[in-house]
Amino acid sequence: MTVDLDQTPLRYGGAYDELSADGVTPRAHWAHLIESFRAIGPEELGRRWNRAERRIRENGITYNIYSDPLGANRPWKIDVVPFLIPSDEWRFIEAGIVQRAQLLSLVLEDLYGPQRLIAEGHFPAALLYANPAFLRPLVGVRVPAHSYLQMLAVDLARSPDGKWWVLADRTQAPSGSGYALENRTIVSDVLPDLFRTSNVLRLAPFFRAQREALTSLSQKDNPRIVLLTPGPHNETYFEHSYIARYLGFTLVEGADLTVRDRCVYLKTVDGLEQIDVILRRVDDSFCDPLELRSESLLGVPGLVDAIVAGNVQVANALGSGVIETAAVMPFLPGLSRHLLGENLKLPSVATWWCGQSYALDWVLNNLDTVVVKPAFPSRGIEPVFGAEIPAAEKRKFADQMRARPYEYVAQEQVTLSTAPVWEHGHLDARSVVLRAYVLNTGSGWIAIPGGLVRVAESEEAADGAGKGPVVSMQRGGHSKDAWVLWDSPVDTFSMLRPRGEPIDLSRVERAVPSSVADNVFWLGRYVERAENIARLARTMISRIRRADKAELGCLLRLHGCLESRYSKLPKARGKRLNAIALEKELVSLLIDPKRPDSLVSTLGEVSRVGGNVRERLSADMTFLIGKLRDSVQIESRTQFLEYPAILTNCLELLSAFSGMERENINRGSGWLFMSLGRRLERAIFLARQLREVTTPLAEEDWPLLECLLEVADSSMAYRTRYYTTLQPLALLNVLMVDQKNPRSLDFQLSHLEELYEKLPRHAREDVKAMREALELLRAIDLCKLSYPLPGASVESIAASGTSGLARLEKFLRELEILLPSWSNNLSSRYFSHARTLPITIGQ
Amino acid sequence: MMYKIVHRTTYKYKYPVSVGNHVACLKPRNLPNHQLAQSQLHIFPTPVTRSERVDFYGNTLCFFTIQEPHKELVVEAQSQVRLAGPAPQASENMIPWEEAARSLPSDHSPAGLEAFQFGFESPRIRVRPEFAAYARLSFTPRRPMPEALRDLTTRIFKDFHFDAKVTNVRTPPEEVFKKRRGVCQDFAHVQIACLRSLNLAARYVSGYLRTYPPPGKPRLIGADASHAWVSAYCPGSGWLDVDPTNNVVPSDGHVTLAWGRDYSDVSPLRGLVLGGGAHTLKVGVDMEPVEA
Repeated sequence: MTVDLDQTPLRYGGAYDELSADGVTPRAHWAHLIESFRAIGPEELGRRWNRAERRIRENGITYNIYSDPLGANRPWKIDVVPFLIPSDEWRFIEAGIVQRAQLLSLVLEDLYGPQRLIAEGHFPAALLYANPAFLRPLVGVRVPAHSYLQMLAVDLARSPDGKWWVLADRTQAPSGSGYALENRTIVSDVLPDLFRTSNVLRLAPFFRAQREALTSLSQKDNPRIVLLTPGPHNETYFEHSYIARYLGFTLVEGADLTVRDRCVYLKTVDGLEQIDVILRRVDDSFCDPLELRSESLLGVPGLVDAIVAGNVQVANALGSGVIETAAVMPFLPGLSRHLLGENLKLPSVATWWCGQSYALDWVLNNLDTVVVKPAFPSRGIEPVFGAEIPAAEKRKFADQMRARPYEYVAQEQVTLSTAPVWEHGHLDARSVVLRAYVLNTGSGWIAIPGGLVRVAESEEAADGAGKGPVVSMQRGGHSKDAWVLWDSPVDTFSMLRPRGEPIDLSRVERAVPSSVADNVFWLGRYVERAENIARLARTMISRIRRADKAELGCLLRLHGCLESRYSKLPKARGKRLNAIALEKELVSLLIDPKRPDSLVSTLGEVSRVGGNVRERLSADMTFLIGKLRDSVQIESRTQFLEYPAILTNCLELLSAFSGMERENINRGSGWLFMSLGRRLERAIFLARQLREVTTPLAEEDWPLLECLLEVADSSMAYRTRYYTTLQPLALLNVLMVDQKNPRSLDFQLSHLEELYEKLPRHAREDVKAMREALELLRAIDLCKLSYPLPGASVESIAASGTSGLARLEKFLRELEILLPSWSNNLSSRYFSHARTLPITIGQ
Repeated sequence: MMYKIVHRTTYKYKYPVSVGNHVACLKPRNLPNHQLAQSQLHIFPTPVTRSERVDFYGNTLCFFTIQEPHKELVVEAQSQVRLAGPAPQASENMIPWEEAARSLPSDHSPAGLEAFQFGFESPRIRVRPEFAAYARLSFTPRRPMPEALRDLTTRIFKDFHFDAKVTNVRTPPEEVFKKRRGVCQDFAHVQIACLRSLNLAARYVSGYLRTYPPPGKPRLIGADASHAWVSAYCPGSGWLDVDPTNNVVPSDGHVTLAWGRDYSDVSPLRGLVLGGGAHTLKVGVDMEPVEA
């Protein structure tokens, strides 16, 4: 797994303070910010920040924490105070990281090429051979030189004397640039004046260059580019979808791709579409279960062979993880002189690779001053602070290291600089690490101006004696925006589309990936399902407290329309149910997260499948999904009678969603699948409701009709037609056969047929099945039916044509079987191959 | 001696497989005293694409993709290999094994570098103190490398029981070492782990072994199996093959298919299939001497 943005064990004490040299006066480049903060004032800043945090949550900006059940989709934590870098300092950092990227790229080219560095002794052979990240199948494979390190991330820290040091290099699938972009959007929104007056270097040109660089990896004019993600469970999935959308690439998982004829294809609803370039966020060895790690399901079987055949380009090139280890650092100064003919501009933090005997001796003699880490982190060895090893165990530890010294690196413990953070209404100092990014465009190197600043969680025990806090997003740290304050005019190009621009599910006129169609289909179904549950529950709750016995019976029948397997009501049929039991059941139906059919769970599913296609939804739609997820937060002290208001609020959000769906989404295949999902769900629900009416209702049960109309939001449609009191047949007319009522069964079936026919590669028999169902429905002549009272004699039923009612009931029952199976056919036709995971044989 | 080898692998699936991506490592290597006269790979159903590639270790891999739904996959490798008989026995290499281990890291010659990479852990093989301790009973101080290697081979042969029921292709060497049971693949892995635990370079060899029918009985066709043994690097002599399953030094009865760091580098046939469900596997190998 990509363990990125990961821990960097460090110590504190006597730190360099970014804000001020003497603890009183701000350094020159901070003065403007401090003034501006004073002018805004803590109260206003607090208000603005609350708004920003709400937006973070609603936009669904998250960072997943592994191993924490509550940690999944944790909102991204950012600090309002930007990290400021003056122009001269940035020029120095930029030159340093660009040189480093150049150097590392040349090293990679050699290690996967002629390996002269090994033969000539510039790079230790053991460091290559013992490294599980060295992917032998990629040796000798010709790939574009600028794909090796298309992007490099470098973690930088400033020591007490003010010098910058490299803590770590991220070479295979560097993460965080998307968060940097999002941080910029948020912070510049909160501090618009300060941002405008600070002459900050913009990020957009970097991303524009990234898109061009990726495009140039392929020989084609208009190559098809995808971003390969490990999936929504990955810690930085938000960023994957954000970057995919920002750059206009299709976001895919391994299962969305397939290799045929040594080429990579995307499975789409239109069939297979060839892929030319893959920007990957899947770690090296997980990319191809056929030739790399066979147990990986994140990759694409045959990808390596497609790369070897030259039919697809991957950035960063597979195998680039081999130089991610800190063990490479001690060799960089020499490699720099050898390969570039210049000294290394930015030093790495002091590092010893124990595979060299003198380094091992030094480390064992100075164990108390270093952190010992695995040279190859995939082996699962934890970093150890030498000083913390009990004296009695030091010897055993040393023996372990001597047995396989090449498995260990030791690093000096760095005292990080501190930067101001905004907390509890004032500025506080926290340790920071800057992650900077360099891009290889093929014709040159450029650095992202600024980057992602990570902030230590707290300064407790930061006295230099105890184990200091650790800068780690995995452990709950914050992040910051980094501003490079430029000394000449800046390019203000922005790639972000303004908010409110029409939503565009199939952004480019390209086929929709099968997995996207799958998620969008279920988004439609779950949104509709949530609406049905909310409407039904609201109708019941507003009546239950004043219901008499007969009305209670109606409510129970209404509840029966849900056909819930998870109902908390006593199962026994004949048993008289009281209002309290029903109330309890309703509360559970709304808020029990353990019930898959509860409103909360359904909205959770909306948020989940919506999250899976986040890069295809507009910001407003994502925002709405976020609000929906939180809309039924009911506390223990919430009164039962407050529920209708909560549900009304939820329904308002749902109708806002429907509005966007109708008015703001391109009518591409994506929309078709969402509408199909919605119509299908509504048809299934309607069929069940209508079936309740086909069982003869006693006149005292007729209030049920009113409920049904209310649930279907069709009271007005009924009244404009009938003016009169409710009659079962009239209700059937409105909810079943009225072709103009968008909530009638006829409307659903005819739209299902129509929408489905627009799909590419649709199945004729499924069109036919839907048409036949519609024809059967339209053949029902309600005028010829009469509605008997229960208990009417057999003769009178026969005389009054009730057999028509029985036929109607049969039709609805059959429809309830047809619709799910029709849905299954649709799934297996368009989505199933996106869901099947390959199985390994022969290993 | 010329051998004709037929190696047939059959997968039967419960449900149809819609797509299968496979790689076969079934073409014998061409070596001095070990000439590949002929080699063919028959695949049913016929793949839409197949391509050959020489891997990092010099083995020939065949990649193929089957895109038609199928419930049975048959891969049959037919090859003919001419073995020139045992190499002329040079005088025994007397290099102490410690020297062999010590000289490896500093030997930057192509052969030295090539050998050095086989001294480290690999996907299936960990370096452990228990392996080192076991190996040291053979690798006594200053003992000549070839002698110590043969002694270790003999001890594994004697201490471990051949038992096809206790292990599978994924059993780690640590478990085999504890149970003292397994098959040729397991014994090869254990011996490699022992050698690497002493910082010696050792590789896994996949191939075939000529078997002899019981006296008076006819040779059973297809009753043989694919085989695996070990090769260790000895400066001055190069790679020395030993077969811990049979306690022999391979000569004119062993045909080499491929070598790598462990089984995972050279598994004869592997793949990823979509669909299929449960499957059964049948392997038949027939190795027969022919008139050249």
